[in-house]
Amino acid sequence: MAAIVDVKDVHKSYGSNEVLKGIDLEVQEGEVVVMIGPSGSGKSTFLRTLNHLEDTDSGKIVINGWDVSDSKTNIDKTRETIGMVFQHFNLFPHLTVLENMTLAPVELGKYSKDEAEAKALELLDRVGLRDKADVKPTTLSGGQKQRVAIARALEMNPKIMLFDEPTSALDPEMVGDVLQVMKDLAKDGMTMIVVTHEMGFAKQVADRVVFFADGLINEQGKPEDVFNHPQHERTKDFLDKVLNA
Amino acid sequence: MNKWLKSILTLIVLMFGMFVGGTTSFAADKPHYTIATDTTYPPFEFQDKDGEYRGIDMDMLKAISKEEGFTYTLKPMSFNAGVQAIQAGQVDGLLAGMSITPEREKSFDFSVPYYKTGVVIAVNGKDKDNKSLDDLKGKKVAVKTGTAGAQYAQSIAKEYDLKLSFFNDSNTMYNDVKVGNTVAAFEDQPVMAYAINQGTDMNIITKPVNTGGYGFGVKKGANAELLKSFDKGYDKLVKSGEYDKIVQNYLGDNSYNYKKNAANEAAAKPTIWNILKENKSALLDGLFKTIQLTLIGIILASIWGMLLAVMGVMPSKIMRGISTSIIYLFRGLPMLVLAFFIYIGLPNLTGSKIPAFTAGVITLVLNEGAYIASFVKGGFLSVDKGQLEAARSLGMPYGKAMRKVVMPQGIRLTIPSFINQFIITLKDTSILSAIGIIELTQTGTLIIARNLQGFRVWLIIGAMYLIVITLLTWLSNWMEKRIK
Ligand SMILES: Nc1ncnc2c1ncn2[C@@H]1O[C@H](COP(=O)(O)OP(=O)(O)O)[C@@H](O)[C@H]1O
Ligand SMILES: [Mg+2]
Repeated sequence: MAAIVDVKDVHKSYGSNEVLKGIDLEVQEGEVVVMIGPSGSGKSTFLRTLNHLEDTDSGKIVINGWDVSDSKTNIDKTRETIGMVFQHFNLFPHLTVLENMTLAPVELGKYSKDEAEAKALELLDRVGLRDKADVKPTTLSGGQKQRVAIARALEMNPKIMLFDEPTSALDPEMVGDVLQVMKDLAKDGMTMIVVTHEMGFAKQVADRVVFFADGLINEQGKPEDVFNHPQHERTKDFLDKVLNA
Repeated sequence: MNKWLKSILTLIVLMFGMFVGGTTSFAADKPHYTIATDTTYPPFEFQDKDGEYRGIDMDMLKAISKEEGFTYTLKPMSFNAGVQAIQAGQVDGLLAGMSITPEREKSFDFSVPYYKTGVVIAVNGKDKDNKSLDDLKGKKVAVKTGTAGAQYAQSIAKEYDLKLSFFNDSNTMYNDVKVGNTVAAFEDQPVMAYAINQGTDMNIITKPVNTGGYGFGVKKGANAELLKSFDKGYDKLVKSGEYDKIVQNYLGDNSYNYKKNAANEAAAKPTIWNILKENKSALLDGLFKTIQLTLIGIILASIWGMLLAVMGVMPSKIMRGISTSIIYLFRGLPMLVLAFFIYIGLPNLTGSKIPAFTAGVITLVLNEGAYIASFVKGGFLSVDKGQLEAARSLGMPYGKAMRKVVMPQGIRLTIPSFINQFIITLKDTSILSAIGIIELTQTGTLIIARNLQGFRVWLIIGAMYLIVITLLTWLSNWMEKRIK
């Protein structure tokens, strides 16, 4: 089976600051990859290169069969197949929850308005927010906003979902609901790359844990291997800090 | 939003319709000219209490046009603006008690001198100290910009150490002498004599110098046909004695007493109410023109400004550069300079006339548009960049993402600025009186030239502006609520 994500030797600098120093990564269909690592190690930057929110300096990124690193690739078409969930939700405040979800598919001619709304209501049902369809996002709690954001991404029928610290901006009592939605998604076979500090989620859901440090993938493997028998000092240090915090 | 846009477009079309419909129609077979005159220069031109232009020049022009079979649209503006409008080709002729001078003959072709004239100096009637030119040494004197009197004063300014104050119309100049800011006015002899005859308390202390004649002027090398008609018509009027009748009417014993007519109107009961009643239609016309200018101006400026703002946040460096430069240029230019440049400068370059109203609208669009562009651009930039990223990561192309996600939010942030700009635009329209648009401020100037009730008239005009601004603010606030 062909890899859904195939990254080879990706480099990226901000000025003289090299943030990604040669990343290689393959992700198979249906796989759940959790990325951990200290702040500033390049996790977000890497995730954002996958759907070309960031340019790369060199290397090759193929995702869902589209070569993202090739400037001739239709990036909008590629992005339709990649769902992205941000730390700060980025819901559109001037639109209702339902309009947030139907805007892109209707504008892009993917569905008719009726189809898009029917699908959106179904998805809202799945994340437990069907009754919020007609409110503005500002009236929602953080956890509810993030669940809407996930539903909005799913509305486009993506082949893969990228999450950048989806629960870091949430009050602790909201985290569980969002993680539950993500667990359900994983169970349904969605391919996912998740940057998170939720080690419990990683242990429970991840097929693979990838440890980032200083712009490189330092170590990766099954969660129980990485958590219980880290091979590198950096990994050990990091896990000690996170798990004992 | 779409409905909103439609109603705005309908409004623009409507307003332009009124504007076009409002211009004078004329028979197609007769030649038609645009002729500029001074706003007030009695006895040659002034507005009577019905708002009609009268005076020797005006009556003569009417008689000549009938005699020679042409029609004309009259454009009253300051003398100075008239001279420039001729050079710009904005008007065909200037009939404004203009002295024929060698200097002017370089850029004008003149008719035969139709009236004998010369420059005299006049002082306050109560002034017993200044009896000759020599007494004026080292003192401040008043002149009218661009007139033969001003040229004469300038030519002797060094010798007599005169300090010159410049004015745009005779009334203001006389007033300046009366209140004592300046000791003497330099004026064309017939005009000064007429004013004194009509009760202006001043004394002529010199013999006419630089004597010559008044002529009807056209741009050098242009409008020969019009000039020929004028000369022929004038000749006929003189021969039939009609010309003398016209002059008699203003200067003879039975002369039309312009000042008394104006004074009667105010002297009876110089109340605000009476002034309002007498000038109701002029004030309403001026108000309508001001509102028309404001609405067309702000709507087109908003469209232009938003276009510039969109260009200003485009990924393309060239587009951003163009937008920034245009904003910089038109925010930096004073509006008066811009208005003169468009109305008088541009036709010099392109050779085609621009109607004053159109020039005024263009001025507003460029000036207000630059301000709108910069705050709308600011609004776009202040939208969190996560919004664009979220929209793009859903697969929306840049343009769609901007239109559907970033811009609606950015515009919302700028609604208070739009209301503010609306009010500024309304006030800025008064600057356009300088290019001869008879809006509310210019209407005030014209009424005062007639009734000399400066305080009360400006009180009325000021109140009218405030009332309209209050109404506009209410309207804007109501629209703001509807949009939210
Ligand atoms: N837009 C940017 N401009 C300059 N430097 C950046 C930018 N975004 C991120 N960086 C830098 O890149 C490095 C990696 O950042 P990031 O990918 O956000 O790390 P992580 O998500 O692992 O915390 C940091 O040193 C950060 O300061
Ligand atoms: Mg990060």
